[in-house]
Amino acid sequence: MKVSDSIRMATRFLTGHRLRSALTIAGIVIGIATVIVFASFGISVQTDVVSEFEDTSASEIFVVTGEVGIGGENDGFFGGAVENFALPALTTYDVQQLGEIEGVVSVIPRGSVDVTSMSDGNQTVVLDSLTATTPAAFSGDNIVAGRAFEVGVRGEVVLSESAVERFEQNVTVGQNLTVDYGDRTETVTVVGIASQARGGFGSFGDFAPTVYVPTDPYYQEAGPTAASANQGVEQTAYRQVTLVARPNQVSDTQERVERYLNESSDATQVLGDVGITVQSTADLVDGIESVLTDIVRLVTGIGVLALLVGAFGIANIMLVSVTERTKEIGIMKANGARNREIMGLFLTESVLLGMAGAVVGIPLGLGVGFVASTYAEVGFTIPYDWILIASAMGIVTGIVSGLYPAWRAARVDPIDALRYE
Amino acid sequence: MDESTDEEPVVQVADVHKEYELGGTVTALDGVSLELPAGSYTAVMGPSGSGKSTLLNLVGALDTPTAGDVTVDGRAIADLSETERARLRGTQVGFIFQTFNLMTRLRAVENVTLPLVFAEHGCESRRERARDLLTEVGLGDRLDHLPRELSGGQRQRVAIARALATDPRLILADEPTGNVDTETGDEIMSLLRETNERGNTILLVTHERHIATRADRIVHMTDGTIERVEEA
Repeated sequence: MKVSDSIRMATRFLTGHRLRSALTIAGIVIGIATVIVFASFGISVQTDVVSEFEDTSASEIFVVTGEVGIGGENDGFFGGAVENFALPALTTYDVQQLGEIEGVVSVIPRGSVDVTSMSDGNQTVVLDSLTATTPAAFSGDNIVAGRAFEVGVRGEVVLSESAVERFEQNVTVGQNLTVDYGDRTETVTVVGIASQARGGFGSFGDFAPTVYVPTDPYYQEAGPTAASANQGVEQTAYRQVTLVARPNQVSDTQERVERYLNESSDATQVLGDVGITVQSTADLVDGIESVLTDIVRLVTGIGVLALLVGAFGIANIMLVSVTERTKEIGIMKANGARNREIMGLFLTESVLLGMAGAVVGIPLGLGVGFVASTYAEVGFTIPYDWILIASAMGIVTGIVSGLYPAWRAARVDPIDALRYE
Repeated sequence: MDESTDEEPVVQVADVHKEYELGGTVTALDGVSLELPAGSYTAVMGPSGSGKSTLLNLVGALDTPTAGDVTVDGRAIADLSETERARLRGTQVGFIFQTFNLMTRLRAVENVTLPLVFAEHGCESRRERARDLLTEVGLGDRLDHLPRELSGGQRQRVAIARALATDPRLILADEPTGNVDTETGDEIMSLLRETNERGNTILLVTHERHIATRADRIVHMTDGTIERVEEA
């Protein structure tokens, strides 16, 4: 019997029992769709996040005071507790020293200056703080309008795009805004609008409305201070500093940064046992990837369970089918069908059921994955590997669940079968 | 078919015994010897339980003897593997059953091609062969009908066309008229006669005298043995 004939006959039977076939493959469809949904969603998130890092901050090293569980082996990104985060301990001296470490291209300290609100004259927007940083935070295409502020100049601010959106009337470059510090107000001028800024923790934290001001003078006047052990004076101290390293030297530079911070920095004297977290973009990406991989693995496990249930469904219905078609088996044997041809015929049916499950489940999974990605506002990536894996799973499920029923069918005694009513 | 007398018989049954375990040993055949010369037409008559169906199953390579030899087309079926017996059934034996035994989901033409499918004939050639055979048995206008859309007589004619599909040397007919009316039975028997005249060897099992007399030779069986052979 030719393979094409087996497929034709198996198809004839399956389409003759549409409802039964559809119900049988439902389990497979659910299993495969589950796997595809989470694989496509996981990969989409991963691709989106990783590409964002790679675009903007491939060679950044983040220095944060305190223990931040991010990107570690054990601490998942989402579960990463921020303990003792943001003790201001990195002194002006430290910032200066970090900038002199071999491999460091620029240093972007970041701090916050407490305010209560901001107003464009018509509308007042609640704002917790101004974000103090340096012009180096705005590189490349980050400034979408205007320019960066100048160091040492009071009254110049850069708004993030999300901050612009907070005002009902369009805020444009050159417009004056009033900042309310609670005890006093200050009129500032918008000199630029930025899509994002370097130096945020992980560089994806600036989705929140942010108003950038220069550290000199804003943070130096209002920010906290810490004792500089190296210089013996109180100095302005930062909670986080971002270093831009020379590409291809990131890990070596990171080691040198860690050595300085742990051995001779002011910060280590101030923090004592608390410690300092130093992480590169690569660490963060690894962390995110590891968490997403875990999620995909977990859900794949659920999908495999659903497939297992589906496999039992196929096996069950195939056994019923063998009994129902005992007479047909006898007729086929009388007409020259060999045992392995009967076996092949029933296996073909179960494999077709498994494949049908994949054919329905994969687009369904991709569809739901696409909707989930769209909802989560990440670009949709088609998980080609998983489509192949899911197809293989469908076929393997069909084979495994069909083996025993097919073997039973092949062993049917033709004489008994021909007498069977 | 005088020229075939020198040929080796299509079937040789030599002192065959067949026992079944059915809550105790049941002897279905007890020393049966029979030859079916090429081109012969033999009817086996006997009451139910006389062993005629068992004999038919052995000759059709559906079963193997407990003792003795059944040789079909020069091959002892006891020496053949299950696969070889299947192949023998598919190419050298055509079955016609009392209950027609058509595949209910396959159209008339597809039922006729069934043995050709297992014999791996090409798609086009086997459809053509099936069309020709169905036209010969008078069903040229019923090619794409399902068995349930056909009368009993028409179904049996599809079954005859199917039995002839691979042009087997041997046709085995088990009560072929048992489920059709007398007139249709007559037509069926005429078809079998035509088939025999074209050279196919026929073994017919029946319990009806007027059907058996259509053969050239009648073998009477009782209690698993051949009682007598009546030449027409």
